[in-house]
Amino acid sequence: MTTFEHLPPPSLTDAAADERTQPFWDAAKHGQLVAPKCSDCGTFRMPPGRFCPNCLGMELEYVPLPGTGTVFTCIVVHQPLHPSQADHVPYVAAAIEADGAPGIRFISNVVNCDPDSVAIGMKVQVVWHEVSDTLTLPLWAPA
Amino acid sequence: MTTTEPAAKPFKNMPPPPPSFLGSLVDERTQPFWDAAKREQLVAPKCSNCGTFRMPPSRFCTNCLSMDLEYEPLPGTGTVFTFIIVRHPLNPRAADFVPFMPAAIDADGAPGMRFISNVVECEPEDVKIGMKVKVVWNHVSDTLTLPFWAPA
Amino acid sequence: MSLKDKVAVVGLGMTYVARGEDAGLAVGDLAILAAEAALNEAGLGHKDLENFAWASGAGDPGGMAATMGVPEVMFAANLTSGPGGGAGALGLAASSIVGGFGDVCLSIITAQTAPKRPTGTSSVFRANPVAGGGAYGGPTGPQPEEAFVAPASISSQGATTAMIANRYLHEHGVPREHLGAVVVSQRANAGDALTLEEYLRSPLIVGPLSALDCTPDLEGGFAAAVITTTVERARDLAQPPIIITAAATGGTPSHATAFQMPSDTFGSSGHRAVAADLYAMAGMGPDDIDVALLYDDFSPMVLMQLEDYGFCGAGEAGAFVAGGNTSVRGGKIPVNTHGGNLSSAYVRGITHVFEAVQQLRGTATNQVDGAQFALVTGSPATIPLSAVILRKA
Repeated sequence: MTTFEHLPPPSLTDAAADERTQPFWDAAKHGQLVAPKCSDCGTFRMPPGRFCPNCLGMELEYVPLPGTGTVFTCIVVHQPLHPSQADHVPYVAAAIEADGAPGIRFISNVVNCDPDSVAIGMKVQVVWHEVSDTLTLPLWAPA
Repeated sequence: MTTTEPAAKPFKNMPPPPPSFLGSLVDERTQPFWDAAKREQLVAPKCSNCGTFRMPPSRFCTNCLSMDLEYEPLPGTGTVFTFIIVRHPLNPRAADFVPFMPAAIDADGAPGMRFISNVVECEPEDVKIGMKVKVVWNHVSDTLTLPFWAPA
Repeated sequence: MSLKDKVAVVGLGMTYVARGEDAGLAVGDLAILAAEAALNEAGLGHKDLENFAWASGAGDPGGMAATMGVPEVMFAANLTSGPGGGAGALGLAASSIVGGFGDVCLSIITAQTAPKRPTGTSSVFRANPVAGGGAYGGPTGPQPEEAFVAPASISSQGATTAMIANRYLHEHGVPREHLGAVVVSQRANAGDALTLEEYLRSPLIVGPLSALDCTPDLEGGFAAAVITTTVERARDLAQPPIIITAAATGGTPSHATAFQMPSDTFGSSGHRAVAADLYAMAGMGPDDIDVALLYDDFSPMVLMQLEDYGFCGAGEAGAFVAGGNTSVRGGKIPVNTHGGNLSSAYVRGITHVFEAVQQLRGTATNQVDGAQFALVTGSPATIPLSAVILRKA
């Protein structure tokens, strides 16, 4: 099992997926990043909600991405919000613009580097965190 | 007879017993009402500032917004303003108690408010709007005595 | 047709109970006491009330009207969402009066007791509103969408704001010292001598924010009420009428929706559209404003609002504040002359409305000489955002 530096505090152990979101997590389990996209008008949508904000279509499909991207914005969380998080700071939360999916951002973390080195515009690549049998989370590391 | 169980129905056609937490739903504002009830004295909550009766005894007077409250002794007589006959039990606890007759009572001496209670000690079909009633006391527990109303 | 210049603020009332001082009062009770104080100030009684126009989160207007013994309710409505609608409650009040429902309106703009948090004294610990379901009346409870946001642990309003602020600071090359300038300037307005050096020594909590960049939590219970009526009726009441010149409520829906906002407005307060609507109704611009009360849950939001409301060009607000231009002592546009919530506590910006009214009455502690027009904004958060321009009669 891969280990990561500067992981955020653990949250989910299961994606609480439904039919709409299951394909994302299935692909994640196989190490493939995909992006949710409206089947009617082609607009990417994140999170994959019921309605397309462009055309209100309810159909959704997933397109494979190369797994590279750019930090759009990021924060370093310095102070634990709860004592149970004390062992996890500092960590970096970020919005990532993934290559191949314009118009959406993945909300995730940048790991495996000094938190203070993460900057807006930095190139990153996806790495996979196998949290449980049912949840593999995409994280991002310096490219 | 060796049983020590209290009579299940001290009053004819009384409603099911109140939920057990009712006895503790009291604060400084409402305690005087229940203290008086224990002594079988009916009292009515009244604004200390403008004299408006208010039921239930809430924090604010709807007439003047004062938060002060006092209790005025009443003679314990009144009139049925409206009532219903409950014939169908909504939960199993009420099964042995139907029919019973919830009512809104205009008590003599406390105009502008109504006691929400029950008419007991008579047949359902004998209850009428405008009927004269008098308070009777149901000693439920050490901390709770409830007023009911019976034909005067 | 608009509500411009038709309705006046005629009474203010506030109730505060310090923590530990157990008055046995619920927030709704505090709100009634605040309403009574506002009515008294106006020279009115609770039986004069007809309309009830609330900001969100302040309870149920119809229920309170019944509790207060109001003879007839002619209008009862809430703005939705969060504290973004605080200033907008005045717009809703004015709408109800101009709409002909009734002439005298009570707005409860906030009613809250202090949250009890084990870890903190700062609003940075407030819950993150981003991922919640049910936003449009859709499904509630944990939703599959949340798995796309929650794992990142952006677990506070401060962290959410920091994500936006970092983008703003990056795009315009704004140094942290300029956030410090906001904090130092507002503290100075409140009579609290904090130096930039002291600010910079305060440890970072999240992103560019230290505790000094975050509004401290309220220690106690609090409610605030505002009475409005027609300009005609206001002339006969106890206070000098302060007229609602313009109001705007709404904004661009994508703001703060799981960080998917358009890139060109991401690093902003989200108020740009609201500002345009507000100035259009008022028929004026930023140069006409004499004092600005800008919602300051977190310091970066003051900088972004200065730009979104046109007091500065893009990226210029930091230098503008650092240059003393927002000071109550001779600044070009005095901002948060009462010190703002950053210098007091998180009360959803209600003191901004009060300060604006007092500035225009000429009774503010830090009076801006000759103030004619005041801008008040609501939270830069989820829509509806809101703002009003008030003026002296």
